[in-house]
Amino acid sequence: MRTVVQALEDAAESAHTGFRFIEESKKSEPFFTYSGVERVTARYGGAMQAMGLKKGDRIALILPNNQDFVFAFLGALRAGIVPVPIYPPAGLRRLGGYLENTLHIVRKSGARVVLTDGSIRRLLGTVQSGAPDLQRIEAIEPMRNSREPLEPEKISLDDTCFLQFTSGSTSAPKGVIVSHGNIAANVRRFMEEGLEVEAGVDSGVSWLPLYHDMGLIGFMLGPLYHRNTITYLPPMLFLKRPVRWLETISRLRATISFGPNFAYALCVKRVRDADIEGLDLSTWRAAGCGAEPIRARDLRAFANRFAPAGFDHRAVLPCYGMAEATLAISFPRLGEGVRTDTVDAEGLAGELKANGAESGSGGAIEVVNCGKTFEDHDVAVFDPKDEASEYLLPDRVVGELRVRGPSVTSGYFDEPELTKKAFAGDWLRTGDVGYIVDGDIFICGRQKELIIVNGRNYYPQDLEWEASSIDGVRKGNVIAFGTRRPLDDRERVVVVFETSVTDRDARAAVKNEVRKAVRQATGLSIDDVVDLDAGVLPKTSSGKLRRNETRRLYETGELFKRTSARQGDAIGIAKEIVKSQIGYARDALFIKK
Amino acid sequence: MLGMSWTHAEVVDEVRSVVAEHMEAEADITEKSELVADLGIDSLGVMEVVADVEDRFEMTIEESELQDVATLGDVVAAIEIRLKADDKLKETASP
Repeated sequence: MRTVVQALEDAAESAHTGFRFIEESKKSEPFFTYSGVERVTARYGGAMQAMGLKKGDRIALILPNNQDFVFAFLGALRAGIVPVPIYPPAGLRRLGGYLENTLHIVRKSGARVVLTDGSIRRLLGTVQSGAPDLQRIEAIEPMRNSREPLEPEKISLDDTCFLQFTSGSTSAPKGVIVSHGNIAANVRRFMEEGLEVEAGVDSGVSWLPLYHDMGLIGFMLGPLYHRNTITYLPPMLFLKRPVRWLETISRLRATISFGPNFAYALCVKRVRDADIEGLDLSTWRAAGCGAEPIRARDLRAFANRFAPAGFDHRAVLPCYGMAEATLAISFPRLGEGVRTDTVDAEGLAGELKANGAESGSGGAIEVVNCGKTFEDHDVAVFDPKDEASEYLLPDRVVGELRVRGPSVTSGYFDEPELTKKAFAGDWLRTGDVGYIVDGDIFICGRQKELIIVNGRNYYPQDLEWEASSIDGVRKGNVIAFGTRRPLDDRERVVVVFETSVTDRDARAAVKNEVRKAVRQATGLSIDDVVDLDAGVLPKTSSGKLRRNETRRLYETGELFKRTSARQGDAIGIAKEIVKSQIGYARDALFIKK
Repeated sequence: MLGMSWTHAEVVDEVRSVVAEHMEAEADITEKSELVADLGIDSLGVMEVVADVEDRFEMTIEESELQDVATLGDVVAAIEIRLKADDKLKETASP
């Protein structure tokens, strides 16, 4: 077992493999061998030490450019400094929720320095004044030419490698402590056992954002341990021209590339027939899918569409993982493609049992097989009420998935209460609902409130914040959540607000404004906007809004009984949701028992 | 269209025709129309519009310029900055 820093020093012997960075507007594609990466990152680490940062100090990274991010992240590790990746702003006009979120992460992590680029730096004034431990916000540009020598630090497997902030279900983002030991354990499992990577030979292509665990660990740290070449594309380039992802795999004869479900669907939708003719995807042996709910239909459509380009449907690899388990929890066996389990929706809803059903029959749903967990790791299903994880539920019984093993985090940074709640006995609660059959893991739904649409994570707080700004909406009395029916290809986004406006037409106008404000600010289209009379939203005794409870009331239709004027379509939606086994299972598991 | 010069009105017309291809509902398209809020194009759809516009004008709009595109007029402005830099934007007499 090696720390990331040892792995980098070892990889420096490699003069052939390394990282390649593609930029949209540049013809050249700078390539750094691991030997070069070792030299450059020493300078970045030295520059951070010259800022006065010491081992264990945190540095927040808001770096949209891949090359900057890779060098700054690894540079920090070499100096023993703990990087805290933060996603960059989506634009200059959507800053409200972004700055609030960023300030929270900077404060909570106790970062002494925020490292960003010159243009983002100008936007962060309020962050500077709101975070007591923050000493300065630095632009990365001067660091690119730094000549500061690195004072090597002794780093052990128990040391914290970085903090991965994730959005909590009812709370603000919390920082998962990821140690060097966690990384070493997880990388070994997913690279060797999961992907059967040939060190220095397999090569990858990634457009995944590096502030997210799938890009960061899957396509930067994992490959570093095994000296594989990785080529990075900017995430925005993929969104604009999805074909560039596939062209890059084809041109470089890459063997491994991952994306969330929506990436595969986007390629099916956007890549033209003429472009497929020039592609050769026959070298792509592991086409991983994770990070958001997986739909077999989308992956099959991708495999069919790109079969003429040599894509092998058996390369598709639906995986399961989460930041609290470093990255990967389970992988199916290589070369098996998408496998699913067809179960009876009624059984799932009523008895919380995944009984096999005929595919195509009414009330049957298809659940994707995410494979087995790795050696020296365990995954099991428990009743969410089983606080000590005493009673493993048998195969095909639906419950909360829990995991334990060396990849699992020790907890959240500076959050003893949340850390305690995250574990039941020595098992980590994943917050995902699912079942197991012969060790194969099936996920039914997510308990968490994160709204995931097209691979982007939307925080309900951001939507609520925007809706609150509309005249007629009672400030602070807005709740946003995502909900999913069995055949929906994405989460449906619902915003519920209280209003004192009584006139029907005026209320309709307020609803329109809410829709518009949220779309404008987040780019997200709301599927349903619900207006309620003042005082209807459920609150805790301390006056805080209860998001899970509101969603439950929405899904069961009870929310609508609290008011009179209601649109027909909203009721229709609510009725369908009530029938959804996922919604029901979630209610039954987490509320009613 | 390589080497071709454009007037402001031509740029607006061209962008409008691209945007129209990506809309599902009927709506009046003006320079003030917000792509997402008024024309109902989702955020991935906006990326698609940008890619098509780049193809028509044979240019690349930088990521930094792209971040603040909200209205059709913003797309036009981003294009005109590029055209002007390449000396491909015709000055039109003010009315």
